[in-house]
Amino acid sequence: MATEANVLSVEGYTLDYVTRAGPIRALDSVDLRIARGEVVGLVGESGSGKTSLAWAIMRALASNAVELAGSLKLSGQDLRQLGPGAVRAIRGRRIGMIFQDPSASLNPTMTLGAQITEALVAHMGLRTKAAREAGKQLFAKVGLSDPAAIMRRYPHEASGGEKQRVVIATAFACRPELILFDEPTTALDVITARQILDLLRDLQAETAVASLYISHDLAVVSRIAQRVAVIHRGRIVDEGSVPNVFTAPSDSYTRALLDAVPKPERRLVSSTVTMSEKRLVEVRGLTVRYGRPQFFGKSLGTAGARDVSFDLAPGEILGIVGESGSGKSTLARALTGLAPFTGTLLVGGREIASIADMDSAYRRTVQIVFQHPDASLNPRQRIGDILARPFALYGRAGTQPIRSAVRDMLEAVQLPPDYVDRFPHQLSGGEKQRVAIARAFAAGPALVICDEVTSSLDVSVQAAVIDLLVELRRETGTAYLFISHDINLVRQIAHRIIVMHRGELVEAISADDLAARGPSHPYTARLIAAVPTLLAA
Amino acid sequence: MAEVLRRLVRTPQGAIGLAIIALVLIAVLFGPWLAPRDPFAISPLQRYRPPGPVNFLGTDHLGRDLLSRVLHGASATVAMAIIATLAGTLAGSLIGTGSAYLGGRVDELMMRTVDAVMAIPSLLMSLLVVSMLGRSATNAVIAIAIAFTPGMARISRSVALAVRKQDYVSAAIARGEGAGFVILREMLPNALAPIIVEMTIRFAFSVMLFSTLSFLGLGAQPPTPEWGLMVSEARRFMHLSSWMILWPCISIALVAVGFNLLGDGLRDALNPRT
Repeated sequence: MATEANVLSVEGYTLDYVTRAGPIRALDSVDLRIARGEVVGLVGESGSGKTSLAWAIMRALASNAVELAGSLKLSGQDLRQLGPGAVRAIRGRRIGMIFQDPSASLNPTMTLGAQITEALVAHMGLRTKAAREAGKQLFAKVGLSDPAAIMRRYPHEASGGEKQRVVIATAFACRPELILFDEPTTALDVITARQILDLLRDLQAETAVASLYISHDLAVVSRIAQRVAVIHRGRIVDEGSVPNVFTAPSDSYTRALLDAVPKPERRLVSSTVTMSEKRLVEVRGLTVRYGRPQFFGKSLGTAGARDVSFDLAPGEILGIVGESGSGKSTLARALTGLAPFTGTLLVGGREIASIADMDSAYRRTVQIVFQHPDASLNPRQRIGDILARPFALYGRAGTQPIRSAVRDMLEAVQLPPDYVDRFPHQLSGGEKQRVAIARAFAAGPALVICDEVTSSLDVSVQAAVIDLLVELRRETGTAYLFISHDINLVRQIAHRIIVMHRGELVEAISADDLAARGPSHPYTARLIAAVPTLLAA
Repeated sequence: MAEVLRRLVRTPQGAIGLAIIALVLIAVLFGPWLAPRDPFAISPLQRYRPPGPVNFLGTDHLGRDLLSRVLHGASATVAMAIIATLAGTLAGSLIGTGSAYLGGRVDELMMRTVDAVMAIPSLLMSLLVVSMLGRSATNAVIAIAIAFTPGMARISRSVALAVRKQDYVSAAIARGEGAGFVILREMLPNALAPIIVEMTIRFAFSVMLFSTLSFLGLGAQPPTPEWGLMVSEARRFMHLSSWMILWPCISIALVAVGFNLLGDGLRDALNPRT
């Protein structure tokens, strides 16, 4: 195939970032070609250089970037040779870009209509009135139900899905030759993400625009792309058609990446847990309300969780799934005394009526691990001090000096003991999450609440953290309340699954029953259908 | 810490500020040893001398050596101002962080009280306190500390509110930590950077405020070589010798400018994102 047949052709492109510690190679002789009408997926973990490539194509590199070699050609024209004026003419007009977070890519002070109109006037040379009409049609085309009303709204008045549709409409408005998608569904809820993905596929098929789809999610890429390139530390390690790469990966990194993707069939824990009469936790009619009580009138605010009841046996893993705002994290906050609640909570036979009843013994029994390890570890404390705290607080070290107990704890989560003198920022994301897990287990808990513990981590790191959790449970017999938006992951690890929707518990089902009989509630069915699974068997 | 210092020296305002403050601190710490003469020794025959080889900066209306008085005055003025600011900062940051931690009605009550106190200008507030407690350097320090507390409380609360929402604070509360531990060990260390910047800039105000109180006769008392007091005494003899009023004025201005520059530099150094 001649080079000119490709809309985008990247050849031997090498990029460094100059830092005070010396140059860092971001992209290393990258070769990539996208033909008209083709979707190429670019898969990699964080820091692999996938976003750097997108910025290089958009000619919006950071000031410390140094391009060492290679060419970036758009329909045969080398983008590296263009001046600032020519780049502006191409950006938005010939290359569109869609980002992860639609709220960040829209101007909060302009109506959604004004933003698409502006793009049409600037790039397509339309008059304002014609542009408004065209904008309305585009909004209708991307599945916004009332285009005229959406035109008048500001970004904060639209939902995340609607905003992303507006961004997509704007990107497609100028009929670009190439569109770069940078994780366009990652910030969205599972069901919304699925709808956006379907929309993208339809639009792409209709307009035959060449697309580069950047994502960390192999399952999503397997659904939308025809060809896929796997990028690892700035190098493309594997490239080919989706079925080829995903069924017969040639590179060991790709294989590891594919193995790490959660598959509901592959269970990580033995299916049965001895369900004796004893219950570790009994929750009856738990309700959490947000918003403060008003002086006038009886405004109760919005419900975080309404009338939720469930049981948990000792050593059981109970998965809680739902979209953001479904109340699953609220449940975790109520159980750890971070949100006031009403209803009954029995832990180990003891009734906890309010936060005031949560004494040191309760706190020790119920521990929590948060989603973002960056935020849950105090940046000013050393790892040793962070891990020493539970021992000091609950007096659990016994005769052993606390310092050696901390070292044992680090070893239990497979971290080197000399990490005690480090600060959190000196650790990687996965290592930080291990420290957070170690802190929870240092208390010797009977229940650990895992609130989206893996969702801010890369796929391969996620798999390692899950393995660690399974391993720790095997050793200590701790029960987990495993909260996640990823139903595939929950099906892999949980004994029973609770599905939350808008603050209510809609279904409680054992993982075996779910696998054998399928969901009984329609919302659960929608949730399962929306989660992308790897296309290749 | 070394990293902050390196970034501080790289900005012009940080480097200049640091140099000025280093000089001032040398005068504060070693002033009495560096002073060539006794600052209290009166010599009636040497009055109103302009700068010269014997008295480098000249002499005042009692023939006392001005250089020695300015050097001795450094500790009387700057050290007192620093103590006052530190006390105000400590009280303010504890109130602010505590208020942010407690939240809700208590927060509301504390902050509205702080607002009410803040409505009184700090000079007026200090004058009020000094006139109630009596005139002395110690009371002036207390007055300045009280006048600075509301402002520091407000600033530390705004930072602490953001820290309060962090998961490590939630984790500490979920762990069952007491209020003291959460405020002092989890929240305050992370709210410190803006507090330090504000404190540095307030050193400048504090020096001026303390000098003002002494100038008005409410702070340091004669014959202390306090700069504000020296200006006040020199005022009557301005037409006889302008050097007398010039040196303490320059000293006050230099310290104020130095702390302001240092504060600006620190703000950039502690906040690499901006």
